[in-house]
Amino acid sequence: MTAATLRRRSPLSSRPPSWLLDLTGLAGLVAAVELAPRAGLVDERYLPPFSAMAAALAEQAGTAEFWQSLLETLRGWAIGLALAMAAGVALGLLIGGIPLLRAALSSTIEFLRPIPSVALIPLAVLLFGTDMRSTLLLVVHAAFWQVLVQVLYGVRDVDPVARETARSYRFRPFTQVRTVTWPTALPYVLTGFRLGAAVALILEITGELIIGSPGLGRQIAVAQSSGAVASMYALVIVVGLIGVAVNVAARATERRVLRWHPSIRRDLAA
Amino acid sequence: MFKPRAALVAAAAVLLLAACGSGQSASSAPGASDSGGGLSPVKVSVIPIVDVAPIYLGEQQGFFAAEGLKLELVTAQGGAAIVPAVVSGQVDFGFSNFTSLIIATSKGLPIKVVAPGAASTGAQGKDFGAVVVKADSPIRTAADLAGKRVAVNTLNNINDTTVRASIRAAGGDAKNVAFTELAFPDMLAALEKGNVDAVQVVEPFLATAKKNGDRVVASNYVDTAPDLAIAGYFTSRQTATGKPDLVKRFTAAMQKSLEYAAGNPDAVRKALLSYTKIDAALTGSLTLPSYPARVDRASLETLSKLAVQDGLITSAPDLSGLVP
Repeated sequence: MTAATLRRRSPLSSRPPSWLLDLTGLAGLVAAVELAPRAGLVDERYLPPFSAMAAALAEQAGTAEFWQSLLETLRGWAIGLALAMAAGVALGLLIGGIPLLRAALSSTIEFLRPIPSVALIPLAVLLFGTDMRSTLLLVVHAAFWQVLVQVLYGVRDVDPVARETARSYRFRPFTQVRTVTWPTALPYVLTGFRLGAAVALILEITGELIIGSPGLGRQIAVAQSSGAVASMYALVIVVGLIGVAVNVAARATERRVLRWHPSIRRDLAA
Repeated sequence: MFKPRAALVAAAAVLLLAACGSGQSASSAPGASDSGGGLSPVKVSVIPIVDVAPIYLGEQQGFFAAEGLKLELVTAQGGAAIVPAVVSGQVDFGFSNFTSLIIATSKGLPIKVVAPGAASTGAQGKDFGAVVVKADSPIRTAADLAGKRVAVNTLNNINDTTVRASIRAAGGDAKNVAFTELAFPDMLAALEKGNVDAVQVVEPFLATAKKNGDRVVASNYVDTAPDLAIAGYFTSRQTATGKPDLVKRFTAAMQKSLEYAAGNPDAVRKALLSYTKIDAALTGSLTLPSYPARVDRASLETLSKLAVQDGLITSAPDLSGLVP
């Protein structure tokens, strides 16, 4: 344990800890947004200084509407991501596990994958109107491919010897998946989760913004069409912060779930 | 108000025609949801702008409850989402400008206007929408817009056709104008930077422009027709024929709301604070549209003629199916 801590610390000792660097970066951004309008580099009417955005944010935070919208955005994101994960993992294991199916579907997947979710907006509105389900469709569609493709890579990465061994011992399909496929695919599943989490958030906000389904994106659009520039940027900042939180949470999940995996374990000699 | 929107409208229209063709008659049982007892729910899709203040006011005043309606307002960011939602029956009524509805009708979408919405004030220089230039611009009248770059929120819709009408009325060459599509919130910055020579804005951006010192060169709605009707509430043919009672009650409540809004501008300004984020300090200086009690048939004919003249549609649709 001590050896591990020592080794972990040694490469970092030459520079400040990463959280300090993160904070310095953010502080620099805040200072730039504060000073550029004040110095007249950009028009204050169209990009207000950071302090004005912060004041607008404080004002927003005092309204029930803001918290309601935040909740709606987070809920839409979580439901969409959960559905995409469930479908992506299940179908990924199934398609990846059956070579014939995989060969038959690979071109279909490659064809469907690049279709931008935003192109589905008219279809979504036709099916569900402008409520939350329309945006959910976009979120699930976008995140699903991220997860599916990662799971397919993961299944392909399974050691053929291990697979053949399991087969010759006549493991049942479920046992094979649990003991052979899943441990190999898990890091890929979690990469899919991390990518999907970010994409799902982007599509959640985009859907709210363009379709007008409830959430922070809609509040941004309302602020925009009301000419409330500071309020709009205040909400954009909130969305950015959610993005950071989602990424941090996804990475933490990855580290925790893959504690045993060589890519995460630092006590192994590199 | 986004660039992809025009493409979305086109795609939506194609999808809609396909959906309508495949027969959606299952849900058209007459009076299916009008069972007596409590309030009947009615879903209305609106854009959160100044024009729809009366429906928010009417709800606050209880005009919809008095008609036995439980109003549910669903906001959308533009007509691109509203028209398909109404035609597919996701919402009962929607709000849209009349040029969009005329274009949709000419494409065969089954829609029907059920209540007026917003109209021009008819007062030159004192309307809720206008063409604005920078204070030091050489453009003095609408005729000077010929050969210039003018921003409108949606190309091939009510705003560029009425600006062309304005230019013609002033004796200018309406064919020789470079219209650019820009969202309303981006227009004043673009004007400031000189990316465009003039912008067609509506409230609250018109009030902001005036505050910035920009100059109004034309009231494009006023130049188009006297008291031009601009937008209104519509439903699908299916709802219109299948639920005539619902439509009748909605129209009645809407008329009361419009009358109330017309008589109480201060209440309108206050209502804006409830569903938009317009700065409270600005609401006092906004020019409100007029809220007419009737759908002005002549205005629709004018807009239809302009749509044909400017090539938005090839022939004028039969308006008798669209107008109540």
